Amino acid sequence: MAAREPGGRDAALFAPIELTGRGFYGVVAILFLFILWGGVAYWVQFEEGLGVTGLHQPVSWGFYVTNFVFFIGISHAGTLISAILRLSKAEWRRPVTRMAEVITVMVLFIGAGQILVDLGRPDRMMNIIRYGRYQSPLLWDATSISAYLTASIVYLYLPMIPDIAILRDRLQKRKLFYTVLALGWTGSERQQRVLNRAIAVMAILVIPIAVSVHSVVSFVFSMTLQPMWHSTIFGPYFVVGAIFSGIAALIVAMIIFRKAYGLQGYLKPIHFRYLGQLLLIMSLLWFYFTFAEYLTGYYGGTPEEMKVFWAKFTGPFWPFFWGMALTNFVIPILCLVRLGRHTIAKVLTASLSVLVGMWLERFIIVVPTLSNPRLPFGEGIYWPTWVEWGELAGSFALFALFYLLFTKFFPVISIWEIREGREVGLKEVEERLLTYLPDGSEAELAETGRRW
Amino acid sequence: MSREHSVPDRMARAIQWGLAGAAVLFIGGIVTWISHLIRTAWRLKDVPSASIGISLVAVPVFLTLLGVILYVFWGLLGDRSE
Repeated sequence: MAAREPGGRDAALFAPIELTGRGFYGVVAILFLFILWGGVAYWVQFEEGLGVTGLHQPVSWGFYVTNFVFFIGISHAGTLISAILRLSKAEWRRPVTRMAEVITVMVLFIGAGQILVDLGRPDRMMNIIRYGRYQSPLLWDATSISAYLTASIVYLYLPMIPDIAILRDRLQKRKLFYTVLALGWTGSERQQRVLNRAIAVMAILVIPIAVSVHSVVSFVFSMTLQPMWHSTIFGPYFVVGAIFSGIAALIVAMIIFRKAYGLQGYLKPIHFRYLGQLLLIMSLLWFYFTFAEYLTGYYGGTPEEMKVFWAKFTGPFWPFFWGMALTNFVIPILCLVRLGRHTIAKVLTASLSVLVGMWLERFIIVVPTLSNPRLPFGEGIYWPTWVEWGELAGSFALFALFYLLFTKFFPVISIWEIREGREVGLKEVEERLLTYLPDGSEAELAETGRRW
Repeated sequence: MSREHSVPDRMARAIQWGLAGAAVLFIGGIVTWISHLIRTAWRLKDVPSASIGISLVAVPVFLTLLGVILYVFWGLLGDRSE
């Protein structure tokens, strides 16, 4: 494993780390422009206060909280999909898992940062540390997101150790950096045993943590008595939406890096077909949950609930609501129902559509309820200012920049897992397949059973 | 593997154990923070059961994470020194 391989079979996986072209600097420059916009917007907000945003009474949560829920949702891409595929020993996972795990860690930082922006005065964060009260779901959020972020970083790092050791032995640059992070990996039997055991524990641990995080995010809304928030299915509804948007984000990232780094040999149409099928299932599940949620509200017919309901269906929020239905359900179904030809183009279209749709879904959950409050505050319409648009653009650009920088330091596809797949995976799959199938004696027994 | 470690090797090893120490500090800090919130709730009679209930879930999760981190550090670094 530690041998130096000039070029080698997996040269395409080392190329982004060893070589940096003009395209990289061009993309970084464009991303910096957006980040600069976000930075200026934040500075203005910090200086002038939240009055420069479109937030007001009664709509005190807008783009920032929408972004928070959206980014935390996308984080499910990663760990959940990767952990489930790893535990179920899905062999096609090998080139996919790393990209998914990176998404999780990056967006968690961006998502948690949204709350800091929404606070207006970041120094008030200290109040949570000093005077936090665990009766508040907001603090449940802070705790569960901290656990998820820690678990995701560990879950990303552990399977990277053998790859870091390969880089340590192969590259002449950043020697100390890779030596430190490789933790003395030599690939000995004991080290492999330790690492495999730790990865297995993390894969099991990270699934309930991921589910709990988005349930807790939904509790921030559903624990209140606000119309169209106070719902018992908000937990699973949010988790389904999170996995849905997570798969979409993963597909988009895979297609971008496949094209940019020439990874066509690793990320094949079959991977996109499988992920496309998962996306299709999630689209149907999302529709079911949305239908159940709105039908329950409509059937109950309480005046406050119906006010928000009609504000979404035919009132000022109708473009967002019907846009959400179009992009989360109609377009993905049309694209994914037949994946015979042009698989990648169809899956990409569906995924981009879902990303837009899921952002709209988060917006349509947060804002209309606050615009039509149960308490006599008076109604209000929310219009984001350039400050919020700047934060939105800056957040997406920051995520893209973090991801891009990661690919310059570490392989975006797990090299050792690919090699392991080639060397032992095929034999393992064959052996496993034989254990699934009935052997001769069982078949004979079944035949005897049928005769009787 | 040679038992004589070069200066960069020793530095790398020191940083690696430093990272393990940082993990202990980080998770220890979170557990201390949760304990502080329980104590505050208890002192103010501010529904301490909520704090205790949540900490019963959160603290073991963080400690398990720390256990995995230390197990990996110990397992991998220990093997190198053998």
